[in-house]
Order: sequence, then structure tokens, then C-alpha cells
Amino acid sequence: MKLEVGYIDIRDICFADSSRLEDGVLYLDKNALSEIVLEDKNISKVEFEIAKPGDSIRITPVKDVIEPRVKVEGPGGIFPGVISKVTTVGSGKTHVLRGSAIVTTGKIVGFQEGIIDMSGPGADYTPFSKTLNLVVNMTPVEGLAQHEHEHANRMAGLRIAAYVGELGKNAVPDETRVYETPSIKEGLEKYPDLPRVAYIEMLQSQGLMHDTYVYGVDAKRTLSTIITPTELMDGAIISGNCVSACDKNTTYHHLNNPVVHDLLEKHGKELNFVGIIITNENVYLADKERSSDWTAKLAEFLSLDGAIISQEGFGNPDTDLIMNCKKVEAKGIPTCIITDEYAGRDGSSQSLADADASATAVVTGGNANELITLPKLDKVIGDLSVVDRIAGGFNGNMAEDGSITVELQAITGATNEMGFNKLSAR
Amino acid sequence: MEIIVTNNPRVRDAYSANHEIHFISGDFSCVLIAARDLIHKGFRLLTHPLSGSVKPNETPFKSILLCSGSGIDLPSLSMIENALDACRKFPIKYPEMPDAMRDDFSLIDYTLFSSAI
Amino acid sequence: MAKLRIVHYINQFFAQIGGEEMADYKPELREGCIGPGLAFNQAFGEDAEIVATVICGDSYFNENLDEAKATVLEMIKSQNPDLFIAGPAFNAGRYGVACGTITAAVKSELGIPCLTAMYEENPGADMFKNQVYIVPTKNSAVGMRDAVKKMVPLALKLAHGEEIGASCVEHYMPNGIRKNFFEKKRGSARAVDMLLAKMAGKPFTTEFPMPDFDRVTPNPAVKDMAHATIALVTSGGIVPKGNPDHIESSSASKYGEYDLEGVMDLTADTYETAHGGYDPVYANQDADRVLPVDVMRDLEREGVIGKLHRYFYTTVGNGTAVKNAKRYASEFAQELLKANVNAVILTST
Repeated sequence: MKLEVGYIDIRDICFADSSRLEDGVLYLDKNALSEIVLEDKNISKVEFEIAKPGDSIRITPVKDVIEPRVKVEGPGGIFPGVISKVTTVGSGKTHVLRGSAIVTTGKIVGFQEGIIDMSGPGADYTPFSKTLNLVVNMTPVEGLAQHEHEHANRMAGLRIAAYVGELGKNAVPDETRVYETPSIKEGLEKYPDLPRVAYIEMLQSQGLMHDTYVYGVDAKRTLSTIITPTELMDGAIISGNCVSACDKNTTYHHLNNPVVHDLLEKHGKELNFVGIIITNENVYLADKERSSDWTAKLAEFLSLDGAIISQEGFGNPDTDLIMNCKKVEAKGIPTCIITDEYAGRDGSSQSLADADASATAVVTGGNANELITLPKLDKVIGDLSVVDRIAGGFNGNMAEDGSITVELQAITGATNEMGFNKLSAR
Repeated sequence: MEIIVTNNPRVRDAYSANHEIHFISGDFSCVLIAARDLIHKGFRLLTHPLSGSVKPNETPFKSILLCSGSGIDLPSLSMIENALDACRKFPIKYPEMPDAMRDDFSLIDYTLFSSAI
Repeated sequence: MAKLRIVHYINQFFAQIGGEEMADYKPELREGCIGPGLAFNQAFGEDAEIVATVICGDSYFNENLDEAKATVLEMIKSQNPDLFIAGPAFNAGRYGVACGTITAAVKSELGIPCLTAMYEENPGADMFKNQVYIVPTKNSAVGMRDAVKKMVPLALKLAHGEEIGASCVEHYMPNGIRKNFFEKKRGSARAVDMLLAKMAGKPFTTEFPMPDFDRVTPNPAVKDMAHATIALVTSGGIVPKGNPDHIESSSASKYGEYDLEGVMDLTADTYETAHGGYDPVYANQDADRVLPVDVMRDLEREGVIGKLHRYFYTTVGNGTAVKNAKRYASEFAQELLKANVNAVILTST
């Protein structure tokens, strides 16, 4: 499978009378955007805002972050099975509006999630303080049930991202990269001496607001399976996970999966990147056993020499992570796992809810309980009144000067378990 | 025999017709402790005690499915003890909360639990 | 700004008094710096200086622990220092334990900023790294320069009351307190590097060591319980009321052996727990909850077991070094063997 990705660097973003992309500047027509969101009769009102790096802006509560992309050549379209037909993607040519992002917000439940600060100390902890963001703030019709609201919100974000991505279809990329994964046989012939490495990606799949979709299929109803790196780049996996802001994988993370890119970086040089095994994180313990058994079976079937395992979320997934690690290691395949920690505000508590001696190589995204004080920013997009109800916030955490003290878990992407960030802990 | 240990009225009401329910009038940790006591008596966990990314004591609700077995199931015991440890790291966040919010927590717990039934 | 006042602790060897033959050297306070202190003074420059050095022989310190500790502490206190440094002890075991003991005492009793340094395998490291900042060094004095280079910036931060960052950034031994910091590479790239090293059998350092699993293979089952002698052993700190041997509530330095002859039930009037770090109310109300003598007597009467062993062994698990716990157990295990005990029930808190 071979995909050519053309990166168009977005330099600025602004509202205008007509939507277009010119010289790296995104011009967006609010009316056209509104129409796309309000197609869904479950959404009564939508507001659009722009938030740029360095702005004194706080966005909260963040639901998802999506990078605009468009399929230029080859089968299928972006977000297959959800926005486009279910055709297998990952080959041909795709354009990426690099440096821009769609951020969706909205109050789905009374307790909330996710802060993005565009400047100040909080900005260091979220990757989305560095992107030019179109914020989509949605209000549902009255009485809409939570799961329908979540669905409406998620789909609107994806539709907007597809619309904005489409504006880059005819643009000339600033950089073009070709990503190619050989078939099993080709890989063996081409790199007989390189270690065979796969990426085992765990997907959040516990229920309402804790879901992930693969080609439109709810991941909790899937068996562990194999997917290629370039399919992810075309949006084969999207996030329906709105809980645990710091260590949830947004759709942006899935599109730009850092493990995939860093393995591709060394592919054909130091290792042979065989592919990706996706596996879920269900609540039912028998599901965990089955999924991790299948993960280990596939790892063995692929004749792996090593695997990187990434996690999503807190608590329940720790068990899946350790099961996957233990069972893959038991097949004689070395692993390195990526997680984050809940070591308490003072850092002295046991970090994970599960552990095993076979997990000898661990990368951590940091302690999500560590406190951070975020100064008052000039503008809030969304609703700051819910900050004390954000995971990681607490009652009475807003000081007189308008600053708020929260745990890092309140910040979107802060302790990402795909290893998207430089944050770590010792 | 399967048994649901829960402090969530929504779960109790939805499943009481055809499931054994051990309803707990207490907080999150009380449910874990009740489940642990059952494990001591030979029950085995069927669902993960830390289901959901909403943190323990942030949500007041917890529902766990167990089934009876013979002898003590050590993986269940270690899982429930780890969950209790994790629970102790998080102070109760909303000693009082608006009804609407309580209802949302109840719904999330219910849907997470239902995904396993 | 005035130079910070430092008191430095070293042993008889580094004070150039002598080797093992002088290890009984009693505590002595000298003005100014001696031996390794020179290197510290140079490195501190205008920021700080060693105003006094306390010297003590390693044998003397370890064999007269309470007295030596009190004397040394008094000497340190008399100098009214802003900062206290012990060692580095490198791989000298008793010196390392002395450095750790004194540094911990300076921290808890005098409240003065302090640190020490030693080789990671020095027994003092395991005993004290969670109590005080210990800078890891090489296993011999060859590592002096490197040790001083790492200790000085950490010492100054401590003295100025600045926040101390992650262990790998500030160069102290991991102490069980997790601290965030920014790495040079992102997590995924670190994972790829770590996996490549692991696959190639090359050394790598995990960012989160799994909790220590000291797994013990169980002995074969006792076939004939009806004639077996069963002993009770606990790390839950159950002791006769009044704690006659003064077993410490944490970091216990001893264990106790107590007679159960004629004892049918532990009551609030006769037994209690010495254990700190957990709510003792329920253990004190009825110590059988931790050390189930009452149930064992029932089983004895019912003929399920042969008999309950006459003595029980007890210590406090709270913060007690694994090494010490192992030593206690290997001592009383011999006693249990001599008494032909067939099985032991171990209870904790």
C-alpha cells in the first residue's frame, strides 16, 4: 500500500465571504459552515471562532480535534465509513492542510472535559496551542439525549473538517512525502536482515463517550485486526471519546499517529515496519482476554521481532495494556509500552492500576494528577463555568485573579499515550 | 449465579427484573468494597471495576458484574484491590452536585455497564 | 549575599585518619573543610562554603547508633548551618548507612536542607533514598569529581528552597515521587529507540519501573493438617499491650517473639498494634483481626489443625526495608524449624 501525502502549510485562517485556500491562507465563509452543521436537525445553534497560537484564548470544553484532509487521487474518501463510502483507503494521494485544525466544543453532559490554552503555561502542554484552530461551538435542540448529542457533535466536526479539507484539493503542496508499506512477502524479501516490528494500537471502546470507530464500526464490537499505516492517514479511525482529556486520542492524533510516523522514519533502515494491530479496551473481562489473545496471536502470526503498544485512557485500559504486553512477551516478542500515570497530586501514589514484571520497557507521558495554574486569559470560547466540573478541575479552583488551578488531566492531549508529546515523568 | 453490585439506581431499575442485584447505598468505594467482599466469598469479576475514564469519586456511581465460582479467584482479587488503591488517589469531587449532573454520571455508568451485558 | 554555611559529614577514611583500624573513631567536629570538602568548596565558589566538618568512624557509628547519631546531630546543630552534606560514600556500606542515617535525621529533626551521595548498590541507598535526596555516584572515589558536579547544583536548589524537578533532571536517585518534565524527544520516538535497544539486547532504561515483584514459589501443600503445628507470623505489628520491646511504628529495627501459652483470644486489654500508617482502631479493638489467635484456637479444638505454635513473631511492615524484613524472617524461620513447625500463616495489616 502506497500513499502520497501532500502537505499544504496553512499560514493563516480568517472568515470571509467565500471559502477558499489561497497562498496558504484559509478563508472561511461562516454561512456555508453553519449550513453544514445545521444540516443535523439535532443542533439548534452553532458559533464559529478562530483561535491562533499566541492568542489570549482558552477553549473549553473540547470534544474532538480534527485535521482537515482531502483525498485527491485513489480509491475512497476521507473518513471512510463515516463521511465517505466504506471503500478501503490508504493508497493514491491525499492533501493535508498542515498547521490547521477543527476543534469542536459543546456541553454534552454536566461534567466536562478538555482545555486548550492558546498562550501561557497551559499552552506548553497541549499540541493544539500550536495549530490555527477553527472552533465549532454547538448547542443542541432542547431535550436531546446525551448519546444523540454526542453523535451530532462528532459528525458535525467531521463534516466541517471534510469541507475545509476539500478547499485544499487543488492546492500545490509545500512538501510531498510517500509512505509505503510492503506486503508480508515483499517486506521479507526487501529487508531480510531487519527486525520485524509492528505497532499495537489500543482503542478506547467502553461505551457512551468512550468509543472509537474504525471504518465506521464501533471498536467495541470488533476483534483485534490488522490495518496499514496509510489507512490511518486517510481517517480510517476516528474518535468518539470525550472523556479523560489528557490521554484520549483525538481524531487529529489518529490521523497523525506519532508511533506510525516514527516507525516509518526508521522503516527500511533500522527496522521493518510490518503493520498495525488494532485492539479494543472493553469493559467485559472476557472481551479483554479474547482481544489480548488475538493480539498476541496476530503478533506471532506476523513473525514479529518486536512491538510498540500504545494505550488510551485510564484505569480499565491499564488492564488491557498489561494483558497485551504480557501475552506478546510470552510469545518471545519484546515490547515497549506507552502509557501515562496517575500518581496523585504529590506524585507518591502507584501510577498504574495494573502491572506486570514483563513490562520492562515503559515510556510515560507524565503524571496526569500534577497540578498546574492557568492564568486568566482574555477570551473564553465555550464555557468556563464548567471548569470546576472538568476532570482534573475541582471545586474552588478558581482564584480571585481569574486564574484556575487544575490537574494536567484537564488539558487536551497533555499526557497522550501514543507518545505525541515530550512530557514525561521520573 | 451472576450478581450486579451497584449504587446506581438506573442500573438497578433496568436490570432488577432478571438479575440478582446487590444495591449499595454508599459511594464509589463502598461498591468496590462490596465487590471485594463477594470475591472473598468466591465470586469472580466479569466486568472491570474501573470501567470508564471518568475517575473514581469524580463519578459517584459504579456498577460491577460478578459471578459465583468455587474458591477464591486471585486475578479478581488483585484487580479489585488495585481498583481500591486507585480509588483512594481521587478525593470525592462533588460532595454535592446538581441533579442534572448526577443524572449524567448515572447514565454514563449505565451505558458503560450495559456495553458489557 | 552572604555565603551559605555548610556542615559536611565524612568518615575516618576520607578524613585521612586511617582505614579499618581507625573505624572506631568517635565523632569529632573540626572547623573548615577536610578531604573531599575541598572539592565542594571549589565548586560552590562564592555561593557557599563548608564551615565545619564532622568526622566519625564507620564502626563506631553503626555499633553505637543512637549515641553516635545524637552526638553528630548536636555537632551539626551547633554550627547553625544552611545546608548539610554527607559523603559521598561511594560503595562503602557502613559509611553509606551512616550518611543516610545522619542526613535523614538532619532533615527530620533539624529541618535543615540536606543531601548525600553514594553508589546505587550501597545498602544505604535502598534504606534512605525515599527519605532524603541521594545522588548516585560511581562505586569508588574515582567518581568524586562527577559526584561533586551533580551534588552542588542540587544542594544550592535545596538551600534556596527551590522546587526540585524530576530525578533524572536533578540527578538524584528515584525516590518514589513522580515528577513531570519535558524530554528532548517525543514519547513515540523514545519508544522506538527503547524497542530497538531491547530487541538488540542493548541496555535501555525504562521510564517507569514496574513495582518490584518479589515472587516466592509456594511450598507443597501440608497433607496432614490434623497433626500439623501451625505458627502465626505478622507484619501487622500486633504486640502485647504496652509494646514491651518498643517495636517502632515505621521502619522497624526489630521483631518480637511472644508467648501464646494459654492465650485463647486477643482482647483490647491484652494486645494492640504498634503499626503506624493505617487506622489502628479496629486492630486495637480486637487484635485477632490481624493475628487470628481466636480462630486458630477454634481450629485446634475442632481438630482441623494439630496445634497452634506456642510463640508468634511480629514486626511492623510500614516502611521497613526489605533487606531488614528478610533478615528478621531468616532468623525466626530457624526457630520455627527447630520447633518442628509445619506451616506458617503470615498476615499483614
